[in-house]
Amino acid sequence: MKNKKFVRIVLIPVFIHMIVFIIMPIVAGLGMSFLDYNPLRSINEFIGFSNFERLLADDNFKIALVNTLVFVIVTVCINIILSLVLAQLINMFKSNKTRSLFRMIFFLPCVAPLVASSVVWGKSIFPTVNGLANMILNALGLSSVNWIGDPSMVMISIIIFTIWADIGYNVILFTAGLDGIPKDYYEAAELDGANGFQKFRYITVPLLGRTFAFVTLMTLISHFQMFAQFSVMILRNGPANSGLVLTSYIYKTAFETKDMGYASAISMVLFIIILGITMVQQKANKVDWEY
Amino acid sequence: MKLKIKREQVVRFSIFLLLALIAVFFILPYIWMILNSFKSTKEILMSPKNIFPEHFTLDAYIKVLTNSPFFTWFKNSAFITITNTLVILFVSAIVGYVFSKYEFRFKKTLFMIVLATMMVPAQTTMIPSFLLIDKLGLYNTAGALIFPTFVNAFGIYLCKQFCDEIPAEIIESAKLDGAGDITIFFRIVLPMIKPAIGALAIFTFLTYWNDYLNPLIMLSEVKNMTLPLALSFFAQQHTADLAAQMAASALIMIPVTIVFMTFQKYFIKGIAMTGMK
Repeated sequence: MKNKKFVRIVLIPVFIHMIVFIIMPIVAGLGMSFLDYNPLRSINEFIGFSNFERLLADDNFKIALVNTLVFVIVTVCINIILSLVLAQLINMFKSNKTRSLFRMIFFLPCVAPLVASSVVWGKSIFPTVNGLANMILNALGLSSVNWIGDPSMVMISIIIFTIWADIGYNVILFTAGLDGIPKDYYEAAELDGANGFQKFRYITVPLLGRTFAFVTLMTLISHFQMFAQFSVMILRNGPANSGLVLTSYIYKTAFETKDMGYASAISMVLFIIILGITMVQQKANKVDWEY
Repeated sequence: MKLKIKREQVVRFSIFLLLALIAVFFILPYIWMILNSFKSTKEILMSPKNIFPEHFTLDAYIKVLTNSPFFTWFKNSAFITITNTLVILFVSAIVGYVFSKYEFRFKKTLFMIVLATMMVPAQTTMIPSFLLIDKLGLYNTAGALIFPTFVNAFGIYLCKQFCDEIPAEIIESAKLDGAGDITIFFRIVLPMIKPAIGALAIFTFLTYWNDYLNPLIMLSEVKNMTLPLALSFFAQQHTADLAAQMAASALIMIPVTIVFMTFQKYFIKGIAMTGMK
């Protein structure tokens, strides 16, 4: 169909909005990363690549980068594997009631505001003395763990929390994806004597391809941007900065230290990481499975 | 044959048990939150071994509702979330429709630009956005959280995918009957992409109801806060009062949880749909 006037009326405001609120901020952010920018000063000097040179010498940045990568890689791997297994188990039930009951329960934490769950876990589950986690461990005869007080435990605790809080989305997406695979494929494989693992490896995984690629990419992108739990559940980035990630470092630098030029430089690093992952993913998924 | 059925039943039952065990782990934090919210902070601290409240009390809830402008926060959250959801639904649907059914120059490029914005992390745009909002005089107003959200790339993408499935003949014949572009959009297209609109409504509602980063940057005055920001503020103000923090968390979680349980079927279908396209 053609109607220049209608297309213009719809698209021009939309693109003006995008330029103002997305494209301009990206460009401005890039520009600011070359300035010594502090909103409280009237003159903000151009300092070239100094902010990026500063990154290389900044120990906190290194800690934040390593923590972010560890958090994202470990959480996303566990999330994907666990949600795939849960989806597979849920789909073994024929009754729709059982299926939707489990899907609903696993999705429950996804509807709760992350801040609220962070408060609950930080103040009622993870505390050493009156936290539920240690009470359960003790009841099982195990010794207490200093979940968010011990620098070597902080990230593990946040990963456990994040999996609890976020896995429901992927369980639902994977159960829907599995439902889309024709049942006769499995029946044919059974006739040929395939076992459960073989069916999973040679039918489920390749045929789930598109859903799998989409879910992995979306989960990666969203986990790189996670912030609420790092800001609410642990105090001041945790002991010895053990819970400092790029998002919390950017926030702290920009809005607490007001060092916005440097914060913009860090945010560019985050942007480039996400952009890189997306591009690698796009390339890797050129092969499309049709069924 | 009989043996095989029995074995299958055993397998199915053990899977059920395993899933039930994991399900308990998922629900436990909620139960614990609610149990603690009915205790006094003293009881939580002094007798941590009490699972059920020894002295059942509503003090924590009373404290939250009387010591803080909870209903104002609730109203702020509701206003921002509902406005954002409605605007995003309308904009996404009409833009998705235009990209799906109209021919114009640079269509592919423009659509790629829309999709590309999905990958931009909030942290990259938030500093300049904050400065812009401040310049526009919107800092500390609901507008700071409403105006920047109108165009939602994911929503446009989802609506376009659904519009693609509407047969061209239906629209052509409406056109022959003399229907204008706007009429066709409201009368024909919108009803046909209802499932996408439903899914998107759920998605945007959850996103803005639960958003923490943007309110944290854009709002500073207590009376303007939205619920998630207000909760973190309240928790800092009452660090020592564990019971009040649990009650405040419960008050924030329960409304969304009830909405979710009521529309559970649509939620799950909607979320599943966003992954299928």
